[in-house]
Amino acid sequence: MRKSVSGLVWVLVFLVIAPAFAHHSPAAFDRTKRVTIEGTVKEFRWQNPHTWIEVNVPDEKGGTVLWGVELTSPTYLIRAGWKSNTIKAGDKVTVVVNPVRTGEPAGIFVSLTLADGRVLTERPARLGTPESK
Amino acid sequence: MMSSRIGRLTVAATTALSLVASTACGPGATGEAPAPATDSGPALTEDGVQLSALAPDNLARPRPAAPFDLTGNWFIDVSENPEAWRFGPPYPTLTPAAQVHFDASQKALADGLVYRDDIGQCWPAGLPLIMTRYWPFAMVQIPTAVYMISGFMNSVRIIYLDGRSHTDPDIVVRTFNGESIGHWEGDTMVVDTTAFRPDHHWMDQGGASIPAGTQLHIVERIRMVDGQLEIAYTMTDPEYWEGEWKSTKRFNRVIDEDIQEVSCLPDLNEHLQSTTSAAQVR
Repeated sequence: MRKSVSGLVWVLVFLVIAPAFAHHSPAAFDRTKRVTIEGTVKEFRWQNPHTWIEVNVPDEKGGTVLWGVELTSPTYLIRAGWKSNTIKAGDKVTVVVNPVRTGEPAGIFVSLTLADGRVLTERPARLGTPESK
Repeated sequence: MMSSRIGRLTVAATTALSLVASTACGPGATGEAPAPATDSGPALTEDGVQLSALAPDNLARPRPAAPFDLTGNWFIDVSENPEAWRFGPPYPTLTPAAQVHFDASQKALADGLVYRDDIGQCWPAGLPLIMTRYWPFAMVQIPTAVYMISGFMNSVRIIYLDGRSHTDPDIVVRTFNGESIGHWEGDTMVVDTTAFRPDHHWMDQGGASIPAGTQLHIVERIRMVDGQLEIAYTMTDPEYWEGEWKSTKRFNRVIDEDIQEVSCLPDLNEHLQSTTSAAQVR
């Protein structure tokens, strides 16, 4: 019997402290929850102010739900090892997000696991620690 | 008699020498005495129009050396408090016009919603929030002005240091960042900003929704302290709050990052689904 792994959504509870996004308020996201989605990349847009990934996630009815995943600027993704061709349409990915509070298929990025097992996170915008003068 | 004649000749020679000296003032000299060097008052064209901060004649005007040069990229210091980008709490006493929005925002937060996130809908952040975005901003200081470009939506802000006054309120174009006129007081750049827009301008994002309007008046006292940029804000807007709203911010220099092109493109929010979700209270 074919093991059904698609369409599974794991809900975990974590306390997450992360810098606020300046474009839109992070208050729309529940930073105490994590949702894991598995699916196929529809689009990966490498741009400012936000990179995004749209993932087609199979649902339990045989169709798909389009999830929107919001990431930080490429400036900080680069420092976490991302490139503009790290993922592309058609790639199989597993993504962990903090979901929007209203239950829609959207979330803010926490981590991504590629098909080869590599895990990518994002570097936050600098926290403003005094550095060079 | 000879001595009086010599005396008159001496006076005449002295006068002649003075006239020669006053007319020896280079190309274009008209024979009139040059205007005294001054750094006060506006630099104008012959027709009385304010010279651009980048006009050669304005730049060439003698001015005292600036006490500091804040040219550089800066980022709000949130190392001790991640919420330090906000300007409150504490908040001043609000007028009824502001209290309506404040109460609505607190109710929205309690319901897990976001009230009137205009910035997320691509309205400019405006002053003061443009200064504390989680993006670096670039400042370039020349004797006549400070030019600022934010990494957030490439918002532009110019602080004029060339002795001009605020534009006549009857002709000024109101903006989100206002019109900033600065002058030096000892080791401090004092910046006075007015001429703000009447709407879609907030003092916070996703938290305490307090509006700002046409009566907003911001005074910034800018200093360099221990390698950081320090800006002490004193803000009034009698339409929305009573008295002065004060807050002091510190910024760290950023040396490993440059400002990039960042725009709120028309299709941006189509792909940031949280901006159109039911979590947003418009």
